[in-house]
Amino acid sequence: MLKYFWLFFFSSLFYISFSHAQTLNRYLGDESVLYAETKQVNQFFRRFNCEEALDGSRYYRGDSLYHDPQMREKYLEVLFDEQNTSISASMKKKFIRQVNNNQKPQYLDFHGGDWFAEVSTDFNYKGKSTPVTLFLELEEAPVGSKWVFTNVYFQPFSEIFEAESNEDQGPPFIHPLSHELDFMNLIKVFRNNNIEKYAQKDYQPDYLTLFLYELKKNNLKFIQVNKVKFHFFQIDGWYFELDDFTRSGYNRGWLISQMTEIPRGKKDLLLKFIYHQ
Amino acid sequence: MYQKLIYTIPTLLLTCVLFFSATAQEEISPERKAAIDSLALEKVRDLSRYISIIGNKETPFSEGSRVIDRAVELFSDGSEIGVSSLFRQGIRTFEVRRYFERLMALNYDRVTIEWFNIQYISDLELQPDGTYVGVITIFQRFEGFSDDGPSYKDTTKKDITVYVKRKSTQISGRIIEFWDVLLGDIRVTETMP
Repeated sequence: MLKYFWLFFFSSLFYISFSHAQTLNRYLGDESVLYAETKQVNQFFRRFNCEEALDGSRYYRGDSLYHDPQMREKYLEVLFDEQNTSISASMKKKFIRQVNNNQKPQYLDFHGGDWFAEVSTDFNYKGKSTPVTLFLELEEAPVGSKWVFTNVYFQPFSEIFEAESNEDQGPPFIHPLSHELDFMNLIKVFRNNNIEKYAQKDYQPDYLTLFLYELKKNNLKFIQVNKVKFHFFQIDGWYFELDDFTRSGYNRGWLISQMTEIPRGKKDLLLKFIYHQ
Repeated sequence: MYQKLIYTIPTLLLTCVLFFSATAQEEISPERKAAIDSLALEKVRDLSRYISIIGNKETPFSEGSRVIDRAVELFSDGSEIGVSSLFRQGIRTFEVRRYFERLMALNYDRVTIEWFNIQYISDLELQPDGTYVGVITIFQRFEGFSDDGPSYKDTTKKDITVYVKRKSTQISGRIIEFWDVLLGDIRVTETMP
């Protein structure tokens, strides 16, 4: 709790100095909690990199405290979900020591790739509200950038494609001389529900295309967004998840909710887990 | 007409003061960003003031309707306001005019709308259509009182989209470039009861 002191102390000074400047509306007291809250993902980036002052004003390259290691360490310490005991103090310390290393500091880059959004939504599917998880990435365009769909998780699709096969004698196949009979055995192949078993070995169903198809056929209707979180792979050897915490106290807003070290080569495994593959 | 001038002139003057000498440039410098932030905040303050007037039960209907028109002019076409509550599943989305009309029609004898003295302004990001987009976060406390019933209060976080576009106009034969700011979608989240 003590580590928040410096943040609130300076926040209070800022509040006092500005409170007389506003006359439009009656303003409310104690904003220290709101100053402490990481209010936007944008602010998470800036605090992580030490690119803003305590009052939220931007530091630019050349400003004395821009990327300042001491101030950055204090920012980094308050960017974790304090209620998550799975992120141990030693893990946190190791992470902070790595990203805030004087010789080779690592910063988050909004346009640097290796991070994406997971959006939990509801869609109406066959008359019922059904959850759909959308994955989006920031894509650079000829001018500016935009969020684009990259993947989708929709349980009805998974149930169709990941159903256990009942075959007792291994996966089914179309025998190698079927062509000599003009593939007349296809009649038996297409009686099989697990038709994807006949596809090439590296075949993966493209759920995003299926999802778009169902939308275009008006079988899916968007209802609402329920929750948004972000997955970060930008820091060498680490993965972390960013969630928005709406709760009382100072430890709230956009915070690191999950974190793990990922050995080289294990990223794909983790991605598959996130994508429910 | 008089009312319209009262609400419109400050914003126009500010636009002129801050941006009359703006020159064409692809990157927004820190100084320019600070000026754009000021203009955007001014629009947000206009919105705050309009909301207070619209929500005030003592505001006559005709005056409230005029203020709604002024408030809607702050927004880009098609802007919506999405509202969520801590105690209710889902997000209710309203077209901005509908949102203000609902606010005016709230069935309380007295309403107070207060603002926390804090705002957070994001960086500006360039969109594929060449305009810049940013988000300003503010916090508001709403309290509705009924003479014969319990009062209702909430504290909300408002994330307000801001669109920034470079425009030009011709004055006395000279092309003057300036930055125009419009508000966009607003996400309203209840933060504490």
